Amino acid sequence: MRNTLAIARKELTLYFTTPWAYLVFTAMAFISSFFFIAMLSTFKQVQEMARIYTWDRMPGDYAAYKNLTDGVAVQLWGVVLIVTLFVAPFLSMRLFAEEKRHKTFELLMTAPVRPIEIVLGKYLGGLAVISATLGLTIVYPIILTVFGGSESGSALEWSTVALGYGGLLLWGATCIAIGMFISSLTESQMLAAFLTFAVLLPWMLIKGLAQSADEPFRSIATYVSFDAQLQDMLKGVLDLKALVFFTSIILLSILFTHRAVEAQRWT
Amino acid sequence: MPMIEVQNVTKRYRDRVALDAVTFTVEKGEILGFLGPNGAGKSTMMKILTGFLPPTEGSAKVAGFDVFERPLEAKRNIGYLPETPPLYPEMTVRGYLKFVGRLKGVPRAKLKGEVERVASLTGTADVLDRLILALSKGFKQRVGLSQALLGSPPLLILDEPTEGLDPRQRADVLQLIKGLAGQHTVILSTHILPEVKATCQRVLIIHRGKPVAHDDLAKLADPSRETGLEETFIRLTAA
Repeated sequence: MRNTLAIARKELTLYFTTPWAYLVFTAMAFISSFFFIAMLSTFKQVQEMARIYTWDRMPGDYAAYKNLTDGVAVQLWGVVLIVTLFVAPFLSMRLFAEEKRHKTFELLMTAPVRPIEIVLGKYLGGLAVISATLGLTIVYPIILTVFGGSESGSALEWSTVALGYGGLLLWGATCIAIGMFISSLTESQMLAAFLTFAVLLPWMLIKGLAQSADEPFRSIATYVSFDAQLQDMLKGVLDLKALVFFTSIILLSILFTHRAVEAQRWT
Repeated sequence: MPMIEVQNVTKRYRDRVALDAVTFTVEKGEILGFLGPNGAGKSTMMKILTGFLPPTEGSAKVAGFDVFERPLEAKRNIGYLPETPPLYPEMTVRGYLKFVGRLKGVPRAKLKGEVERVASLTGTADVLDRLILALSKGFKQRVGLSQALLGSPPLLILDEPTEGLDPRQRADVLQLIKGLAGQHTVILSTHILPEVKATCQRVLIIHRGKPVAHDDLAKLADPSRETGLEETFIRLTAA
């Protein structure tokens, strides 16, 4: 346990002494705030339209804009989800590839530390930095609560927002776990980032690609697609199936990383 | 009980044999000079002893613990400086040594003192708060050596510890290693023979993965002649 924490702490130190964490924070803050402002103005326009024509005469797909929770917060989480997919590979890429490049992998493997402690320590460090990245976006629902208003009191339905945010954290944790496994397979950080991205993006999009496919492939693809699994969580529905799905992917990735770390020595 | 017991260790990389049935023991408190031409298998042997690589056949024991069956116990007894010092360029020397100290299980309360102790031993006390990437090669090498000394492990395995040092630093490091004799067992790999003459009591020479000599320095090299060890080395590794 102590070893795991020592490694996690070292990972965090390195994240914040190299530019990657700051670059990722900047990208996340910039892109999400850009979309936040755009969504707010759309929300305002639809609300004004509704005031003129009343909601009954508005097209059905505008129903989401009746309140800030569905009209802005949930949609914003959808954007943050995509940004996470793009930035997480840059956070996970260095976890093992850098150790091998700098020959420090030998230090870890000859220290009195179990390989699983190394893997868990690194995962914990990655988890902390992705949580910090996602933590930046919590400022938008806070802004909405402070400055927004609605007939029913609070501007946001916080239970919905929080559950969606939980879904995002689970998604971030999944990206880092997969990225860590890929990082354990190569010495090149750039290759690790690229491969992680090449795994995450199609996995996210597979549902859309499979719509024209035949059964049973379509159902399977829809089921395993990240997008489909995340939809309910982001909307604030507690989805046990998704929770099990992502937790399994995380645990499997950790297990595979452990195998990969052990296997390095047998080549 | 000997500090190191190597039994019939063979290491094959695909069809290349790096070590061929190597057997030797090292007693407690010995300083062993580990010699051989480049590519003879010195680094491979050290990687096996430290548990980084598994042997294809045979077994290695450190302080009585089999390196592969009881890895944690064996590794707790070893301080290891690999060929390339394993450093994180973006860390400060102090941060780095504290990290390694934590991994080696140095108690929290003693960590600060232990870092300062090894830093003053290796002459790195003045650079403790500098980033490793800003250090000269000689300092990097000495930070690597400090890392191996953390926690005073009974066995030190040093792969070319004087690499990249200037003559003065070289002399300091050798003096330091000599001072460790008695309480520590040291395996010192090098291809600089005068260093061996200056520090080691015993010598193990390997050539093409096989030990060709393992004896007291005095028996391998006639002490009355300046170039005794060189001649022995060249004779044994000629074939």
